[in-house]
Amino acid sequence: MIRGAAAIFTRDFKKFLSNPFVIMMTLLMPIMYLVIFGNAMGGTITHIPVAVVQEEPYVGDTPLFVSAVRSLENQAQTDYPRTFDITIYSDEEKAKRDLSNGLIKGVVVFPSVVSRDHAVRLYVDSSDYVTPTMVESGVQTAVMQSGAVNPIEINKIYGDIKYIQFFGVGVIVMAIFMTTMFGGGIALIKDRELGIVEGYLVTPVKRSSIIVGMIGSGTVRAFFAGFVIFIVDILFTGIIIQNPEDFLLILLVLFITSLGVTSLMVSIASRFTNQQEYSSVAAFLSLILFMTSGAFYPTIGMPDWLRWITVINPEWYAVDALRSIILRGQGMEVIGMDLIALLIFSGTAIVLGISTFRRTLE
Amino acid sequence: MRTPTHGPNGLPASDPGGKNSMTTTSPALDETESIIRIYNVTKTFESKTKTVTAVNDVSFTVNRGEIFGLLGPNGAGKSTLIRILTTLLQPTSGTAFLDSYEITKYPENVRSIIGVCPQNSTLDVELTAYDNLAFYGKLVNVPEATLDKRIWELLKMTELADRAYMPVGTFSGGMRRKLEIVRAFIHHPLILFLDEPTIGLDPEARREVWQQISTLNREKTTIILTTHYMDEAEKLCNRIAFVDKGRLIALDTLENLKLRLPAGDLIEIGFENMDERAVSAIRSNPLVNSAEIQGNQIVISARNGSKVLPALISSFEEFSIPMNSISIHSPSLEDVFIYLTGSKLDEGSGGESKPVTRGRPP
Repeated sequence: MIRGAAAIFTRDFKKFLSNPFVIMMTLLMPIMYLVIFGNAMGGTITHIPVAVVQEEPYVGDTPLFVSAVRSLENQAQTDYPRTFDITIYSDEEKAKRDLSNGLIKGVVVFPSVVSRDHAVRLYVDSSDYVTPTMVESGVQTAVMQSGAVNPIEINKIYGDIKYIQFFGVGVIVMAIFMTTMFGGGIALIKDRELGIVEGYLVTPVKRSSIIVGMIGSGTVRAFFAGFVIFIVDILFTGIIIQNPEDFLLILLVLFITSLGVTSLMVSIASRFTNQQEYSSVAAFLSLILFMTSGAFYPTIGMPDWLRWITVINPEWYAVDALRSIILRGQGMEVIGMDLIALLIFSGTAIVLGISTFRRTLE
Repeated sequence: MRTPTHGPNGLPASDPGGKNSMTTTSPALDETESIIRIYNVTKTFESKTKTVTAVNDVSFTVNRGEIFGLLGPNGAGKSTLIRILTTLLQPTSGTAFLDSYEITKYPENVRSIIGVCPQNSTLDVELTAYDNLAFYGKLVNVPEATLDKRIWELLKMTELADRAYMPVGTFSGGMRRKLEIVRAFIHHPLILFLDEPTIGLDPEARREVWQQISTLNREKTTIILTTHYMDEAEKLCNRIAFVDKGRLIALDTLENLKLRLPAGDLIEIGFENMDERAVSAIRSNPLVNSAEIQGNQIVISARNGSKVLPALISSFEEFSIPMNSISIHSPSLEDVFIYLTGSKLDEGSGGESKPVTRGRPP
């Protein structure tokens, strides 16, 4: 009995050690969880952009305004930079426009008089899950420190948004990524392993037809997965799509993302002949990209080095675009930048996917 | 699909085979016209540690309409040669023509006149038999209008019509193999390459596959078959090429190959009483190499035993010697191979054999 057990033990261990790459990746995973999860979820949020406006008719900066702004500017947690980046606007409408375009996270409108009848009006971007409460408590502190008795009137510009609605948008993107990386990628590697792809090469079918067909089917599959989760989102989280244009815009974002992620998968899967190695890389990628996509938690809380990843993370742009449309009802003018970023990503991924896959055909 | 008459004439200036019958339309010559001409093909694989010559200066021709066997142990270079002929690999030097197309210059044309059934199954086991054929038919440009008819024709030929809509995963090994062979034949290729068609099949299934191959050959298709089973080659092939360690060792019909054995056939005839005159009559036959009396039987070694036998029997009758028994032992192809290479066919050719990767066992 001992001999058999020892034999199995040795065999398993030899197999385990035979692939150092997989060992490295499996050890790297928990470390990445620690570093990224730890920093992304628990980070201290600083530099929240907030606008302050003096209510019309403007006669001059009131003492309340001056002292509250100073108080807001000086608020900070111990050992951290200041919490808010205050910008003074002279036009309330412009401030609100910037708020709805996502440039700032809150607008504080100070009344000209200190009294119980004149409220300090606060507008917050409620599609952001974390900052509204921080802005709120910041303003409360500032008003109190100024010795004012004005009540504070809070306006959530997108209404109450539950966490599940905030998170649900991220899950749509996650669905696209998972379907492609694990479903499509592994199937592709298996097809190559079994010689099925090589079987195509002895037929008159064009190399380009093989690639177009493959990326096409992967894109549709990923799109379908994203769409299903989107519908589930509508049914379970209570998000409401305001009009048909928004709906079409969502489909567009889903499609471009699916195309890009599929092409990326093709280029990565073409580099691996071993399923296990590919899986560990795919798991690693989906972790790091999902964590830094802002799907769980606003990226504003992340340390700077981690935020750099979000800049090159296609998932971040996809989540941001979908959130703009679904939660804020915004259109092309806001998601334009996201779309451009997604198109650049998809374009690069397609070129990369075609060239690396082509190499496997030579 | 067939060779266009104005197609690129890739014949070289010299025609070593001397069988350049491209210009003739005489049916008598068509029988012997060569469809594959291989000139000094060499393929070396370079790696850091060593250079392996998988195919070493191989030249031969294959006649139109024959079943041509490529025999050799594992790692002899059969598959490499097939991969070169089917345009999957470029030869290091030398060239080959399939019909009138040079393999390196017109790979696209070559692919449209060949059908390939690789060693490892490349059927999609999740798809039905019909879908597998339909998919492949589209890859090899079978016209949409005739595709359905052709699929049913092939399914009936393989006696799989009643299973047309069942996933291939539910098929036995022999059924899969037959399906895969006719799949390669769906576009009526001029040349059909079968790489180890019966590997891993039970005797019953092998017989069915052989039956299938003979049927296809009746449709005027040239079949190139690689195998390391002697009985398979004996059963099917008109001519056989022996390949060992990358070299072509012998090429001839089965009969002629057997003639190369100096011993020839062994004929044993049992008797009661021997007459010396009969023995000297037998020895005087020009085809008889030797005749020895061993106890109550005479052991005769002769070239082409079946032709000699009537003369031997008449010698016995001439001297009124009653015979008890007659047996002819023909050398097998395996004996010929051992004689020519000094190694057994199943042993592989030394350290150069690559690990054999196979698909799932049926």
